[in-house]
Amino acid sequence: MSTMSDDSKNSLLEEKLIKNLNTKLGVSINFQKERRLWTSIDSDKIVDICTKAYEMGFEHLSTISVTDWLEEGKHELVYHLWSYSHKVLLTIKTKIDRKNPNISSINSIWGANAETCERECHELFGVKFEGNPNLTPLFLEDWEGPPPFLKDFNWREYVKEETYDQNNPREKVYFEVKK
Amino acid sequence: MIIKKKVITKKKVMKTFVKSVWVFNWFNSCGFTEILPVVSSRWDMERFGLVAVNSPRKADALFIAGYQTHKSMKRAQQIYEQMPNPKFVFALGSCTMTGGMYWDSYNTVKRIEDYVPVFMYIPGCPPRPEAIFDAVHKVIVHVDELPDE
Repeated sequence: MSTMSDDSKNSLLEEKLIKNLNTKLGVSINFQKERRLWTSIDSDKIVDICTKAYEMGFEHLSTISVTDWLEEGKHELVYHLWSYSHKVLLTIKTKIDRKNPNISSINSIWGANAETCERECHELFGVKFEGNPNLTPLFLEDWEGPPPFLKDFNWREYVKEETYDQNNPREKVYFEVKK
Repeated sequence: MIIKKKVITKKKVMKTFVKSVWVFNWFNSCGFTEILPVVSSRWDMERFGLVAVNSPRKADALFIAGYQTHKSMKRAQQIYEQMPNPKFVFALGSCTMTGGMYWDSYNTVKRIEDYVPVFMYIPGCPPRPEAIFDAVHKVIVHVDELPDE
């Protein structure tokens, strides 16, 4: 019985938080499940909304992730913000154009933590974060090909062409593997 | 009386330096956990004079195991340069020979001999501890077989 009352108490708290976020951030917050809230916003509002969310207690940037929607022609950036005081994960989603992947950096709020996340997104998806002074490769040193996580980049073929020689009898077998 | 002049040969120098092989490890991913039994009490490499040292400047041999990326290979080269002569590089496991199960990955090194001179490859995924002892013994055999001239 005690757990049930706790749950209802929690959901009440979350309802309050959702209302608060709706008014202060000026966005519509969706309740996904317990302790999980998400919202979709325009890409140009990202710094503004992240600043407001930080002031409301979402102090921890867990990660930034990118999804490549090839048919739609968009990159979807997902910012995961955790609040230690509310104990709620707020997920902010935004879409940017795939051919011109520019978005402002949030390093004014989270500093080096955000910069490292952005470096990773930059090297794997080619997203340019304006205002990030250090977008050097994090893992892929000396990489000359396109960003490897893009959906239209066939890295298996790329590796075969770059590293293996079809005329070499020892390496011929690599070209016979079908995946 | 004829005084015999002392001749310094490669073999004599190598014999002085290579006695018990001290090892510096450069392991990526599962390479480390799979070679751990060699160090621990069951196979215990110290009974053969093999010691894992904490600096490349004390090491005779460099063990490279696990798949290597281009980034980690640069660090391995730095380690190799710091090691004093004579030095031997052992590439352990199939990942270092061919890339192993990452043969078609865009960020792994496929052939380690393109980056550092390899003394011996030890095949296996992972290689057996006995194979590693056998390979290290071959260093001493190699020195014995050098021509004394």
